[in-house]
Amino acid sequence: MAFLKVNNLKVYYPIRGGFFRRVVAHVKAVDDISFELNQGETYGLVGESGCGKTTTGRTIMGLIKATSGEVLFENQDLLKMNRRDFNQHRKDIQMIFQDPYSSLNPRKRVLDIVAEPLRNFERLSPAEEKKKVQFYLEKVGLNPEAIYNYPHEFSGGQRQRIGIARALTLKPKLIIADEPVSALDVSVQAQVLNFMQDIQKEFNLTYLFISHDLGIIQHMCDRIGIMYRGQFVEEGTSRDIYTNPQHIYTKRLISAIPDINPENRENQMKLRQEINSEYKNSYDKYFNAEGKVYNLKPISDTHLVALP
Amino acid sequence: MSNQPLLQIQNLRTSFRIGDDYFAAVDDVSLTVNENEVVAIVGESGCGKSALAMSIMGLHPQERTKLEGKINFKGKNLLSLSTNEMNKVRGKEIGMIFQDPLTALNPLMTCGKQIEESMTVHTNMSSEAKRKRTIELLKKVGIPNPERTYKQYPHELSGGMRQRVVIAIAVACDPLLVIADEPTTALDVTIQAQIMDLLKDLQNQTKTGIILITHDLGVVAEMADRVAVMYAGEIVEIADVHTLFKNPLHPYTRSLFNSIPSSTSTKDRLHVIQGIVPSLKNLPRSGCRFKDRIKWIGDKEHEVNPLLREVSPNHYVRCTCYKNFHFSDEDVGDMNYGIS
Amino acid sequence: MLKFILRRILVMIPQLFILSILIFLLAKAMPGDALTGQLASNPKMDAQTLHELKQKLGMYDPYYVQYARWIKGLLHGNLGMSIIHQTPVTSLIAGKMWNTVLLGAAVLILSYLIAIPLGIIGGRWTDTWADKMIVGYNYLTYATPLFIFALLMLFIFGFVLGWFPTSGSVDIRVENGTFAYYMSKLNHLILPALSGAIVSTTVTIQYLRNEIIDTKIKDFVKTARAKGVSESKVYTRHIFRNSLLPIAAFLGYDIVSLIGGSVFLESIYGYPGIGQLFLTSIMQRDFSVVTALVMISGLATLIGTLLSDIILSAVDPRIRIE
Ligand SMILES: Nc1ncnc2c1ncn2[C@@H]1O[C@H](COP(=O)(O)OP(=O)(O)O)[C@@H](O)[C@H]1O
Ligand SMILES: Nc1ncnc2c1ncn2[C@@H]1O[C@H](COP(=O)(O)OP(=O)(O)O)[C@@H](O)[C@H]1O
Ligand SMILES: [Mg+2]
Ligand SMILES: [Mg+2]
Repeated sequence: MAFLKVNNLKVYYPIRGGFFRRVVAHVKAVDDISFELNQGETYGLVGESGCGKTTTGRTIMGLIKATSGEVLFENQDLLKMNRRDFNQHRKDIQMIFQDPYSSLNPRKRVLDIVAEPLRNFERLSPAEEKKKVQFYLEKVGLNPEAIYNYPHEFSGGQRQRIGIARALTLKPKLIIADEPVSALDVSVQAQVLNFMQDIQKEFNLTYLFISHDLGIIQHMCDRIGIMYRGQFVEEGTSRDIYTNPQHIYTKRLISAIPDINPENRENQMKLRQEINSEYKNSYDKYFNAEGKVYNLKPISDTHLVALP
Repeated sequence: MSNQPLLQIQNLRTSFRIGDDYFAAVDDVSLTVNENEVVAIVGESGCGKSALAMSIMGLHPQERTKLEGKINFKGKNLLSLSTNEMNKVRGKEIGMIFQDPLTALNPLMTCGKQIEESMTVHTNMSSEAKRKRTIELLKKVGIPNPERTYKQYPHELSGGMRQRVVIAIAVACDPLLVIADEPTTALDVTIQAQIMDLLKDLQNQTKTGIILITHDLGVVAEMADRVAVMYAGEIVEIADVHTLFKNPLHPYTRSLFNSIPSSTSTKDRLHVIQGIVPSLKNLPRSGCRFKDRIKWIGDKEHEVNPLLREVSPNHYVRCTCYKNFHFSDEDVGDMNYGIS
Repeated sequence: MLKFILRRILVMIPQLFILSILIFLLAKAMPGDALTGQLASNPKMDAQTLHELKQKLGMYDPYYVQYARWIKGLLHGNLGMSIIHQTPVTSLIAGKMWNTVLLGAAVLILSYLIAIPLGIIGGRWTDTWADKMIVGYNYLTYATPLFIFALLMLFIFGFVLGWFPTSGSVDIRVENGTFAYYMSKLNHLILPALSGAIVSTTVTIQYLRNEIIDTKIKDFVKTARAKGVSESKVYTRHIFRNSLLPIAAFLGYDIVSLIGGSVFLESIYGYPGIGQLFLTSIMQRDFSVVTALVMISGLATLIGTLLSDIILSAVDPRIRIE
């Protein structure tokens, strides 16, 4: 039984126009995707910017209305729930945002920031609340005395930890991390990634990890879904994707990662050229007449590819 | 000419005024760039990379900045040029590419006009000649429909296309040196790969020297001939790219390598550099500036006045602390990138 | 673009319709009417004649009938009769309209002539003594309400120094159409226009100055400098153009605030325009004039905002109007 199961999810944004600002077209930000997460794993969602990763994450969180489809969380469809039941489940799903500089309200103290979800869902006395906030601050490696400080007094990595502390307060089961380290320097990034792995073990968390950085995805994720224009082109274990990519788009993404070994530079450039020309020449093999990808088909137990 | 370096920076110190005091963001930096050479400058944000680039371009606000040392370019010291003389160098002999293509272009001017502006400033070309050259440039930077893009406004183009326009501006007058400040940081990997290939292509054709500023060691590995690693305003290590990647010596360089999740690493945990990059006001001004972040290394390992020393031919390292450096977290040893 | 303008004009129709209902109801809800006032002042008027007069004017008809009659008139360009002046409202307004338009245009032009250079100087040379003086000037004009400032100007330059006439829009002794006539018009215009202009510079200066300070540090300005563009060209070609953009868009909205300002200005300077007419008509309960004027200013407001949008889309390529 899957922990989170997304079935045929579609999210279309209306484009208004014409004489009376009617809906004239749709941006198909998420166009019929299905995937599932097992408890305790880290599932990576990768793709270029604009492919619909954030929309997917926010729709699961209930922040964006789905056009159609199902989001089954512990076998209950979040999209069909009434408000009260939904709120009950919302506690179990929390989100970490990309930019540690703008995602925290600069006028609020750390205490208020971290306690915000608590205040929405639980009635705690100020003393209990403070104790809880300090507990989680300590968990994320910040000084519990820092509760009366403001976000600007912290470094980027520390702010991201504040964001994580806030996400943890309600003891969620699933954390949707939308590019959690994209705005951070490598060494700070390392700190946050290590830490996310630590708390995953400690709290038995499941991650939906969204990123455009394939290096980080490979480091963090057990299974990976590759998105292209609102659809999945390939899904598989980390190994499937990185050592045996099948879809031309996946190959292109992987070949674009700079190789850390300068001796490989010529090969890498050649590989990229080959894949780019393959991309141009065999376009029809991978995309249908409308330029859309095909439906996913399994090629092994774990590996699915969108081929005709 | 050919054994004379294109650009030679000597003991450059760039200080900014904060309140009543000046604080050096670039401290005692010496660096040469030869014709047809790509020199990468790597380091985390705030270590002074952009401050260095802007010093070469002379683009710091004069009333709040103090520049000391020498920047020799084509036999002139750029720091002693007047604003007018400097304007003749900027855009003509040194071109610059900025990080964020979304903000680097004037939203109210067509792309064509923005590229032409360089030519207007530095040449007497007729408007027809400028137009022809601009379209040629657009073609050269890989824009599929140059006539159309010539008339388009920046907001009508994607990020990757805009960065190509920014590159076209930088190379419009065939500069001898191009400074690229994080040219691919704001772009998707696939676009980044295209832009890197484009820069390499252009360089092969024109033999320009390039200063490539980045925090991404992958980009360095693919592009650079020589690498300077910067920390807290100083260069802590310089070597050619192969040496540096095979045998990084300075603790900061080694820490950087260990903190990137790399496809060839098998380790679960990434290396974390303890502490944070100090702000400009709090930079340590004496001794080894990296000392506070490797506290487990004894004081006597550091030099009192660390200098950049040549430890093997053309490989320079600052401070002696590299000699007995080891990581503190046992589970993270040095990584081997499979180069032997 | 044309389609956009057309759509906006179409949208104006229901807006004006709603406005007309509101105005009509308000006018009816006001205590008294133009004739009640005459009852006390005019000895020949008794309750009986008043009643007959009212009947004749249709004042006892049901509201919707009165409204329909009024709207029908409006659509035919007939704004009704002024009961006080015993002339058609149209001709009453027409005579004063041009004075107001003249004053408004003068205020607008003077205000920009003063504000744009000051804003540019303050923004370009921030924190110099010139900038500090401009900021000081701005505080002063910001803190001074229009009517106090106008009174002060009138007192100093009109009464004490006697440089400018203190009321009217033209010297009645000069012959219409002669050179002296136009000079006299100008002479009457300067003081009210200047007072209006100076007070309305505040927003423009403030906005322009901030906009330039913000634009100065934008990346595209760095790009321009990196091209070798000289400092003065960086300002004229890149910074000013981009900072003046929002100011251009204000133009339409300025028309709206001018309408409000004209009421004060014209009353204080005894300048015969529609602002003054508006005030006296309210006091005399001459509702046909009041309603007509409110309708006109409503229309002007809508046109002003439309103008702003059109200007903005004309100067900013990012704003595309389909
Ligand atoms: N609120 C919105 N209204 C209309 N279109 C949107 C909105 N948010 C996102 N989009 C569009 O939906 C697509 C997917 O966006 P997003 O989910 O943010 O992608 P990603 O996170 O992968 O970069 C993009 O084409 C984007 O322009
Ligand atoms: N104009 C300035 N005034 C004051 N401090 C500055 C200025 N520009 C940069 N700094 C400071 O100098 C240091 C180096 O900045 P920068 O060169 O932008 O770093 P990098 O490009 O390596 O990220 C930082 O601490 C930054 O805050
Ligand atoms: Mg996103
Ligand atoms: Mg920088």
